[in-house]
Amino acid sequence: MTTLDQKPARAEGRKDPWSQMLEKVGKNQDRQAYHALFEHFGPQIKYYAMANGLASHAEELVQEVFVSIWRRSCLYDWRKAAASTWIFTIARNQRIDMLRKMKRTSAEMPVETEDLWQIPGENDDEPVTSLHRLMSERRVRESLSHLPEEQITVIAKVYMESKSHQMVADELNIPLGTVKSRVRLALNKLKVILQDQNV
Amino acid sequence: MTRHHPDTLTLMEYSAGNLSEPHALCIRLHLDQCPHCRSRVDTLDSLGAVMMESQPQVGVSSDMFDSILSRIDSEPDMTEKYIDAQAKRLSPLQKLLGDNLDDLPWKRQLGDVSVLDISERFPGQNEQVVLQKLAAGGKAPAHTHRGDETTIVLQGAFADQKGVFNQWDFVVLNQEDEHKPVAVGCEDCITLSVLSAPVKLTGTFTRLLNPFIR
Ligand SMILES: [Zn+2]
Repeated sequence: MTTLDQKPARAEGRKDPWSQMLEKVGKNQDRQAYHALFEHFGPQIKYYAMANGLASHAEELVQEVFVSIWRRSCLYDWRKAAASTWIFTIARNQRIDMLRKMKRTSAEMPVETEDLWQIPGENDDEPVTSLHRLMSERRVRESLSHLPEEQITVIAKVYMESKSHQMVADELNIPLGTVKSRVRLALNKLKVILQDQNV
Repeated sequence: MTRHHPDTLTLMEYSAGNLSEPHALCIRLHLDQCPHCRSRVDTLDSLGAVMMESQPQVGVSSDMFDSILSRIDSEPDMTEKYIDAQAKRLSPLQKLLGDNLDDLPWKRQLGDVSVLDISERFPGQNEQVVLQKLAAGGKAPAHTHRGDETTIVLQGAFADQKGVFNQWDFVVLNQEDEHKPVAVGCEDCITLSVLSAPVKLTGTFTRLLNPFIR
């Protein structure tokens, strides 16, 4: 990586307050910081569970996510993911795990949820992308505020309600192609689509 | 048709946690080896975080934090055990298929092609998950595909008229993709394919499977 590449990393790479708290939990088992994270993210995760149709297990999911945050916090590295991104992936995985366990026993699951869906920064010896990781959350938040409502609605259904593009199309009563083009337009603005066509 | 890398919409469904287990496995195996897609997923994971934060929030029970604390207090050594467990973690492929792909109970099918159906390793999924092996230098007959078939190259490489697919390359083929793959390089080419549309197989493998044959 060149020096030029590193400059924005330093400028953009200041720790946000939640990442600082999470780091304190990981380094010092700081319960005050842990409580602050709980107050901030607990209600978000509860809504996430409810939006996903897990209303009767919503608090159970919040608990599982926070126990998992405590256990893994020692592995958290703020250079690899913002706390909110890291916590979102844990919530997502715990949701998937809960649904899997409702359907079958663990003996029937040779592959664990975490084998399929990774938490950023774990099992990962690839420092090159950390610059990208740091910038991404800030950039996403800024870009998202400029997106038209119809694009945000579609993305929200995919992320918060676990709906496939087809299910979103059915629900909004619009063609699948329209859903996909809204998502593509949004992801284009968020620069997720970089050189999709010619890599 | 998607070649070499998963498309962005698929990565988004992965990041949102909406893909089936076999499809998620294909993506995960690719991500482990592809920094380009890994960084796209990082951005998508951030999108998930920002979406979650911008939704309504629902108050949690007042005693919940205390129950969480008593839970973590009842397992004081968890973090160390956790680090240990992470370090000893097997790769998903090892867990699923063991250390040596050649030792699997391959079924010789036709000429250079062998197959192994591993759908039962993903209970409760209605997709068919199939390993295929094309012997080094071997050719598969020309064929097309039904429905979307997602494939990742686990070993070796194959080529068709559209290009060369190396280890960890990702490809989605459908009925429009008629091709005639050849295993290139000096290794057998082994792929893992997920067939979305449920396919009925008769007792013996009378119909050959993707990406080599169908
Ligand atoms: Zn890729």
